[in-house]
Amino acid sequence: MSAIIRCENLVKSYPADTRPVSAVANVNLVVEREDFLVILGHSGSGKTTLLSLIGGLTAPDSGTVLVDGVENWQQGDQALSVMRNSRIGFIFQFASLIPTLTVMENILLPLSFSQRPAGSRDLAEEILAQVGLADKAGSLPAQLSGGQQRRIAIARAFINCPDIILADEPTGDLDEETERDILQLFRRYNKNGVTFIVVTHNSELAASQERARVLMMRQGVLTEQDGEAGVAHA
Amino acid sequence: MAKRGIEKQLNILDYALSSLWRRRTKNLSILLVFSAVIFLVASFLMVSKALSDRAGQLLVAAPEITVQRMSAGRQEAIPLAHGERLQGIFGIRRVVPRVWGYYFDEVTGANFTVLGVDPLQMPGGDGLATALARGRLPEEGEAGMVVVGQGVVETLALENRQLFSLFRPDLSLKTLTVSGEFAKETGIMTADLLLMHPAEARDLFLIAPGFATDLCISVANSREIETIARKIAELLPDCRVLTRPQIQKTYQVVFGWRSGFASICLLSAVAAFIILAWDKASGLAPEERREIAILKVLGWETADVLAVRFWEACLVSGLAFLLGMLSAFAHVLFFSAFLFRPILLGWSVLAPGLSLVPALALGDFLLLAAFTVLPYLAATVIPAWRSATVPADSALGG
Ligand SMILES: Nc1ncnc2c1ncn2[C@@H]1O[C@H](COP(=O)(O)OP(=O)(O)O)[C@@H](O)[C@H]1O
Ligand SMILES: [Mg+2]
Repeated sequence: MSAIIRCENLVKSYPADTRPVSAVANVNLVVEREDFLVILGHSGSGKTTLLSLIGGLTAPDSGTVLVDGVENWQQGDQALSVMRNSRIGFIFQFASLIPTLTVMENILLPLSFSQRPAGSRDLAEEILAQVGLADKAGSLPAQLSGGQQRRIAIARAFINCPDIILADEPTGDLDEETERDILQLFRRYNKNGVTFIVVTHNSELAASQERARVLMMRQGVLTEQDGEAGVAHA
Repeated sequence: MAKRGIEKQLNILDYALSSLWRRRTKNLSILLVFSAVIFLVASFLMVSKALSDRAGQLLVAAPEITVQRMSAGRQEAIPLAHGERLQGIFGIRRVVPRVWGYYFDEVTGANFTVLGVDPLQMPGGDGLATALARGRLPEEGEAGMVVVGQGVVETLALENRQLFSLFRPDLSLKTLTVSGEFAKETGIMTADLLLMHPAEARDLFLIAPGFATDLCISVANSREIETIARKIAELLPDCRVLTRPQIQKTYQVVFGWRSGFASICLLSAVAAFIILAWDKASGLAPEERREIAILKVLGWETADVLAVRFWEACLVSGLAFLLGMLSAFAHVLFFSAFLFRPILLGWSVLAPGLSLVPALALGDFLLLAAFTVLPYLAATVIPAWRSATVPADSALGG
């Protein structure tokens, strides 16, 4: 079975005052379909950069990212957008709701203009209920708490029925109970065939997912975490 | 496929509308400024078009040479004998005395133009008959017969009666009979006109027999207008001789069509670019930039981001254009372009009782659109295009 995501010799550095910061240094990673990948690492270790490389938001300095065997940056901007839109659900590290749109409008945003089926509202309401905010469809983001906004952003990531979820510290500002609910939601989607890459600095999250494969990011370098439960991969 | 395309554009339009509504304060102020610019420029264009149309009509009807007797700097009645003295000048085809003036109707407050001229003698007078909606031109010796314009019919309520009376300067009444009405299409020239025989006009204004207001002269060869005019001036030292080219020039000096038009184009261009600069400066606020980046992450194509912006700009500039045009139209038609009265003052000296019919040449219309709507479209879409093509990862940033 071919890997859903394959990173080869991925390098990305950012210019800085003295010498360039190496955010991602030669990462090789193979993610199989229906994997639940957890990437641990301190702040500044390059986790966000890696996610945006995988999602085709940032072009690597060198190396390649293949999604289903197609190289991200070999296709044009349009094809990349379509790929992002139809296959990937993004959960941002920081608030990413558009403040002037209602919760419902925010959730519907990923639906491109050519494909807003009549049933999409029903689906949005269903997902909204799954994150426990069924009654907030008409609210504006500013009327919600930080944790609620985060859950809206999570709901938005699922609206397009993506088969890959890239989540950047998705439970960062959630209380423990909501965090548990969200992780349970993730697990349910994962069982239904969605591949997850979840970035966190919370190692308990890693431990809580029974099928999780845990990786460690340190100064741009990705390593399998020693002695942890996890399926070995090439 | 085509249906899906339309559905997609409708979805984009829907999003653009709500997006405009979300930033309604900013968009409303842009709309107001934009409409105001269109309003000013369009009013100006409409007025100048209306005036130049009217000037054109007046000039077509203007005699090639007009002779007025002057006394102490004022125009006086001219003896018909003066006209007979001109018969000797070679090249003059016809001398037609006119008796004319303005009649102020106290009851209705309206101003009429009374023109006493023998239609058979007038250059192009045979064309006058075709300008009639009904009735006929008065014939020689028919007392009290008059042809009236539609404006006169309305003001004096002559729809169902033939007889009406006007006051002579000594307040005695002169009774007139309507023999015909001018057609509506000739309105700008004839609306306020009472056309009668010179003898009738003399009677109305109490001008002595043997006198006229001025003499109209037509020449055999229009290239000799200036030469003949000079000869007339020599022959009649107490008279002022006006030629059609001179009058034409006067009109041009008063309004300065060309330079006026040029400055309008300039004005609108400048205004459009002020909007452009303003919109650019205030345009892509950080939160808008962030919004675009988020949309990109969510998989919006650059083209969709641009389409939203494009529709937004279309809606704003289209609405502004419409508002500006309509208010300009109303301004000129219902308020006689009162904002431009100071500029037009010179005009009213030449053409008193001027009523403006707003008109806009298709070319001017397109020019105005090109100088305002297009820059605005560009100013909205280009910054969005620039930021929509930058990498989307800025939305992820910490
Ligand atoms: N857009 C950027 N410009 C410059 N430096 C960046 C940018 N994004 C990330 N970096 C740097 O790259 C390194 C890795 O950042 P990041 O991927 O955000 O780490 P993490 O998500 O693990 O906290 C950090 O040193 C950060 O300062
Ligand atoms: Mg990060």
